[in-house]
Amino acid sequence: MKNDIFWRFRMVQVALILVGLAVIVQIVHIQNSPEAQLILEKGRTYVGSWQTIYPARGGIYDRQGHLLAGNQAVYEAGVDLATMKDANEIALAAQIYLKLDYTTVYAAITAPDPDVTYVVLDKFTAPENVLAFQGFQETLTGLSAKNLSAVYFQPHLIRSYPEKALASNVLGLITLDGGRRSFGIEEKYDSLLAGTAVKRWIPANPHDAQQVPEVPSSTTLILTLDREIQASMEEILDNAGQIYGAQSGSIIVADPRTGEILAMATTPRIDPNHYWDYDTALNSEAPYNRAISQAYEPGSVLKILTMAAALDKGVVQPGTIYNDVTGVIFVGGVPIHNWDNAAWGKQDMTGCLQHSLNVCLAWVATQLGKNDFYTYMQKFGLGHLTGIDLAGETTGRLKLPDDTDWYEVDLGTNAFGQGVSVTPIQMIMAASAIATNGQMPRPHVLQATVQAGRQHKIPIEIVGTPISSATAQTLNAMLVNSLENESSLALVPGYRLAGKTGTASIPTPDGYTSTRTNASFVGWGPVDDPKFIVYIWLEQPTTSIWGSETAAPVFKQVVQKLIVLMGIPPDQVRLSLSGH
Amino acid sequence: MNKVTNLARKYRQAPWRTQRQWLGLVLLGVVMTAMVAGVYLNVAARGTLAGREVLDLNFEIAANKRTNANLQTKLAESSSAAAMQQHAQALGFTPASPEDIVYVVVPGYVPDPGFNLSTTTDQPPASIIMPEYRQTLFEWFFERIQSSSPAAGGQQ
Repeated sequence: MKNDIFWRFRMVQVALILVGLAVIVQIVHIQNSPEAQLILEKGRTYVGSWQTIYPARGGIYDRQGHLLAGNQAVYEAGVDLATMKDANEIALAAQIYLKLDYTTVYAAITAPDPDVTYVVLDKFTAPENVLAFQGFQETLTGLSAKNLSAVYFQPHLIRSYPEKALASNVLGLITLDGGRRSFGIEEKYDSLLAGTAVKRWIPANPHDAQQVPEVPSSTTLILTLDREIQASMEEILDNAGQIYGAQSGSIIVADPRTGEILAMATTPRIDPNHYWDYDTALNSEAPYNRAISQAYEPGSVLKILTMAAALDKGVVQPGTIYNDVTGVIFVGGVPIHNWDNAAWGKQDMTGCLQHSLNVCLAWVATQLGKNDFYTYMQKFGLGHLTGIDLAGETTGRLKLPDDTDWYEVDLGTNAFGQGVSVTPIQMIMAASAIATNGQMPRPHVLQATVQAGRQHKIPIEIVGTPISSATAQTLNAMLVNSLENESSLALVPGYRLAGKTGTASIPTPDGYTSTRTNASFVGWGPVDDPKFIVYIWLEQPTTSIWGSETAAPVFKQVVQKLIVLMGIPPDQVRLSLSGH
Repeated sequence: MNKVTNLARKYRQAPWRTQRQWLGLVLLGVVMTAMVAGVYLNVAARGTLAGREVLDLNFEIAANKRTNANLQTKLAESSSAAAMQQHAQALGFTPASPEDIVYVVVPGYVPDPGFNLSTTTDQPPASIIMPEYRQTLFEWFFERIQSSSPAAGGQQ
């Protein structure tokens, strides 16, 4: 009897063990079945998700600390279709409060793509619209309130330019979705401004909530631009365009000792907050920043480089006399005339610059010889990029004697800025060598970067020394005298300024047959301690074709503004104060 | 032999006593498990709460950063070159011409060093851990003696 019970218990025990084993086997089987893998795969999607965290785009400041490009919060508005009850109500509220089109919203949420559970209504909803929507939502009760809670708002940052069109040609632009960075600083320093994105796992289980990893902040840029000078230059340029009937124009103001660009104004400009106006404001042919992106034949402003080369090489002296008997010179068998087709008789080199005599400068170039002339022009950076830290710079064209399309006459015409194309930034870099002691700093717009709370100053880079210090001083004196002797409209009482006008015919496919011109002026001051160098280009002025009557008075206005904004006392005052 | 058997019987545990011991052991196990589970639950709950709090704070930081960005941009808009010019004109100011400027020598004048956005210094950040957790007894004792002694060069 006792044994019988014992065996019964044993049987039950074995049966239970077998059932247990079967359960374990089945568990192992299920866990390793192909279906289990599918379920696991699906389950992982609910465990959490990977999120890419982008740091806020770095700000851009001018040298005085004014914000030129910052960020602004907007909202992505979307509808969760699973919790939506009444599409009509949502579309109506979106139209009234989010300023969206009723029909578009209604169509998007009533006929979504298959498998879509969330529909984005607008990616860039203004915060005030979101507040208005939420305010309305709070007034509702019952089903309507529940229905509108299907609308979600996700905040994110977009680029904003608080100064609007100011310096837009330098800053560049960035599209709202952040996908396209174009031109200027935004393009050149995109990787610094954008920073480094960090991927982060977000678990759905609250128990696994993890700290958000530290996202390294993006880099903030401090530019060499001075907002006040930039605003003034834009105002002067816009006025000059109207007064002289110019198609467009550029003004660059730089520090010739360091290459720092203090202002770079061009027309036309757009407000980068409304970048979609680009095609309207700038037709497809116009560059975004013509100060660096549009090469043109500069005309007589280039004579200062020819004279600098000849003085430096020692082929002429300031007192060297050129006797212009006929008003014409033949170079390579082609006649070259003065701007007025007249003969100017005996002229020293200062006179040649003062009266801007093509014949004289062509003669100077022939005295120099083609090899030395083009070597100097290349040393001045013509035909090469200046390397300015802005996107979209072009090289212009300097034909060299080895080129198949170079002719002997090019030596003569290039000497007075014809048959050679340059950008305003190239000219200002080259002229900096004359304004200072022969050293040519690379023009740049970035003054400092700020990363992780530390500010790093960008060092000055000297690109080359095309002429000696003595040559620079000699030419400075000649240019001061030529301006003063000419009683130029560029002169500013109390300040010794050096400069040169330029009036260049515009080439057409048939040659220089057009009556239209480009008027330019390059000048700097105070000559004994230069604080600024200015380049002005007015494209096709209509009231007068001459640079001396258009660009020169603009230079005067610019200098009058600069001496106030930069606090530069008149020479007499400065020299008397320097004794203290 | 009988003596030995009697002695063993005397010292054998009573069955009820053995059962009680087992029961006690099981209960002890249960209590221990319950305690560990309780502590675990408490820690897990606090961990979860802290995790949620961290997330909330992160959201708050992100929101503050957005607010900051908005305010900076608004401030820049309000003090933009065009806006400032408008304000100045409304107040009756006119742009200065070179003739309006008077230059004077200011002894000891130091020119503006320029805009600086640096926020960090080269000094190491101060420790947030209290001295009690990082000082040795000797260091604490030495510090106390130093702080209680009169300062050098003090009044007599």
